[in-house]
Formats: sequence, structure tokens, C-alpha cells
Amino acid sequence: MPASTVTPEEAFYNRRRFLRKLGLGLAGSALLPQGLAGATAGFPAKLNPKFDGAGLKSTDFDYVTSYNNFYEFSTDKGEVKKLANEGWETEPWSIQIGGLVENPFKIDVNGLIKKVGGVEERIYRFRCVEAWSMVVPWDGFPLKKLIELAQPDKNARYIKFTTFLDPKSAPGQRGRNIDWPYVESLTIEEANNDLAILATGVYGKPLPNQNGAPIRLVVPWKYGFKSIKSIVKIEFTRNRPRNTWQLLAPQEYGFYANVNPEVDHPRWSQASERIIGGGFFARQPTLPFNGYEKEVAHLYKGLNLRLHY
Amino acid sequence: MRFLIKLLIWTVVLLAGLYPAYPLIRAEASVLADPAKYLLEYYGKTATLLFIGVLSLSPFKILFPKFELARDLNRHRRLIGVSSFFFALIHLGFYLVYTGGFTAFFEDIEKPFVLLGLSAFFLLLILAVTSTNRMVRMLGGKKWKWLHRLAYVAAILILFHQALQEKAGAVQTVYFFAPLAVLQIMRMGRLFTAKHKST
Repeated sequence: MPASTVTPEEAFYNRRRFLRKLGLGLAGSALLPQGLAGATAGFPAKLNPKFDGAGLKSTDFDYVTSYNNFYEFSTDKGEVKKLANEGWETEPWSIQIGGLVENPFKIDVNGLIKKVGGVEERIYRFRCVEAWSMVVPWDGFPLKKLIELAQPDKNARYIKFTTFLDPKSAPGQRGRNIDWPYVESLTIEEANNDLAILATGVYGKPLPNQNGAPIRLVVPWKYGFKSIKSIVKIEFTRNRPRNTWQLLAPQEYGFYANVNPEVDHPRWSQASERIIGGGFFARQPTLPFNGYEKEVAHLYKGLNLRLHY
Repeated sequence: MRFLIKLLIWTVVLLAGLYPAYPLIRAEASVLADPAKYLLEYYGKTATLLFIGVLSLSPFKILFPKFELARDLNRHRRLIGVSSFFFALIHLGFYLVYTGGFTAFFEDIEKPFVLLGLSAFFLLLILAVTSTNRMVRMLGGKKWKWLHRLAYVAAILILFHQALQEKAGAVQTVYFFAPLAVLQIMRMGRLFTAKHKST
């Protein structure tokens, strides 16, 4: 049985709890479709042929969901899965959209998915600034659709994203080494690019907690830290917001954070990357804009990418 | 007793060295995701802890002379120190695998992070090579002692090497090195007051 067909343990228990609430007991469990648990369950995704990841081999579900940078829980990638599933509630979940928009609103994540017309599957490369990479089949919808709903006014030039803040459930947030909550930002042009999505699932299942449940950003031409997890707030601004990693170490992490094999990190080269799940020797060259040069390079015309890393 | 202490040290060192076999055999996804990186980090940390351990023994013995275990362990500083060197060697070996061979290794060599680690490694190499009885005799006790004070330089290099590697505040580095720093400062304080009493 491939790992991808196994019900994640936490989903299993969530379903149990749900069943108990309904008073169905054990007998009813067989009637429920797989993967009903999770805030964003019940939205089937069809593969978008434009982003079918042709020529790419998707990273095993186990690696995608066991090797996670999510400092809200732990700086140890191997610990996140456990700690993010010890009572942190991602259901129900609502997002607030505001700032310089005609139509500010607060919406439940399920309601949002319905409003934008459901989700689709896209297979994207994922490149972490720590020089490792995966290929991930995401379920999600274009960020552009949310922007259309919000109707930004003409002064809005940036979008700021904010992650949840709940130190009680997220042990990493009890540390003061980072100014929580985590924030990220894109220019409006970047956010309107076809590649930018809000993801609500991986491998056809609702996002596991450790992957940023129930809704996260995915901008595959940028280093992974730009793809902010577990979003609670999206604001449109005139001035450029400072993102968390830029605030922490401006000489190492910039605002744009586009994948660029020619600009090294101070501690390591970005020219190549480790392939997750590839064993001891798996390394491959890193591509400009993580292989999405055609789609996004025009956004940065005339910009010195060595200075604006 | 001497034998038992030696056995204890060997057991700890061997167990520490073999420990990674456990998650690898259990095929833990977070370890198999990038096994070379896991091993490189594990052996780096283990080498650091052993090195901090060996440098803590002398001040510990001086400050707490009644604590017998520290006194007994102190007689085996060489064994612990050389073990630390071997873990550092394994750490470097896995770094070479991780980074993709010698070409990539030399491309990154001028980065302060890499340079610090490499310098520390060469100091450890010198200390390990000159750790034999024969070398002590050849150099003469006084010279040997001076040479082996390089261990403190190595400790400082390792401290910065580790701190640079931490992303959001060097929390672990502080946990690792604070006890050693406190012990060394206390020892210096002891030396200082002792000197002033005698004059």
C-alpha cells in the first residue's frame, strides 16, 4: 500500500471525534469517504494540465509531510509533524482580508474555496533557501481570484500575509527569538502572476497541520520561506511590509527571495540543491527562478537581482 | 576503577557513534529525507559536546576536588579528546558527501562559516596527532602544554561555527557553551584570588 493512500493518523482521530459528535459510533465510519476530516476536505481537485509537472518526479508523501520548516512548532524539521498535531486546532478557520481594498471581508476557509470555484491540482517544484528541494502536488486556487474578490484600490501595491498566533498550541511561538506572528509579503504584480496560488491540500488531501493547514501561500519561483503557512490575515498596503526573515537576518534573506543559483547564501552556495528523498548523493543544479523563468522573469526586468536578493 | 572508567567512556563514545543507525534502520522519513545532512549535523554536534566535555573536566576538578567522577574522568582526557576529533573527521566526511564532492567544497571554502569549521578541524588534528606519549616526550612537557592550549582557540572557533549555523538566534550554542564558559571563568577567578593571596 503506497504511503499516499494511508489516512494520516491525525485525520483518523479527527474523524473519530467527528463521528462521536454525531453519535454514529464505529459502525458509521465505513460510510464516510476517505479524507473527510480537515477544514478543507471535500473539494476534489483536477490536475491543471498547464502545471502538470511534466518531467518531474513528485517527492513521496511521507517526505513532504515529515520534513517541514515550521518554526512556530520547532526549528527541528523532524519534530514539526509531531508538535503540530498535539491539539493545535485548524478547524474552523477563517481569514480576514482587508487594508486598501473596496471589499474587505472575513470568511471561513471552506466558504472561500466555494466562492472562488473550488481547487485544482498543480505540481510545482519547491526550493528551500537551505539548498534542498522537493516536487509537490498541491491543491489550491490562484491568488489572483482572491485579489479580484477584494478589489484593491489603486494605492495598493503590496500584499501582506500573516500567520496565526497561538503560543498555547504552538510551542515555537513561546520563544522570543522571532517576533511572532510570522509575516510575508508580495508585490501586487507577483501576487497576480499565474503561478501564485493559495494551497489547501497536498496529494489530494487537506493540508496536514505541519504543511500549513488549512491554507497557505505557494510561490514556487521563490525560496520556500516566502510561501507562508496557516494564513489568518491578508492585507493590501501601499508601503512594502518587511517579512519575518528579512527582519531577522537582512544580510541573508531579502524581500524578493527569488530562487537564484548565482547569488550565494553567506554560508552556502545556491548553485545546486539536495533532492529530498534522493539518498546520500542526490544533488541537482538549481534553476533560475526555480525553473519558472519564462513565467516570472519579466516581473523583475531592470532590477539588479544581486542587490535585490 | 581506572578500567571501569575507561570502559564507561568507550561505551558512551561507541553508543554515540552508532546511534544514527537507529533512525536509519527505522527508516524515519525526516532522517531519510536528507541522510547526509542528518549525519553531518549529528556528528558535528557530538564532536562539539565531547570537546566541551573534555575542556570542562580540568576546571571541574579544580573547583570541585571532592567530586570523584570528575577526577577519574580527568585522567582520560586524551581518550575523550581524540574521540571528539574522530567525530569531527566523520562530520567533515559527511559534509563532503552533502556538498557534492571536492569541487563544490573548494568553491565554498572562503565562506566564514566553512572556514571556521575547517580551521577548528585542523587544530583538532594537530592536538590529536600530538596526543601520544611519544609526542609529549619529544616536545617536552612545557612546550606540549603550551601547544595544547590551542584547544581553547579551537573551542572559540567551534563556538562561532555553530552559532553561525543557527538561524533564529544562537540558542543551542548558548546551551552548549555556557556551562564551559562558567567553569572556565570560575577557574580563572580561583587562580586570580590564589595569586593575590600568595603575594
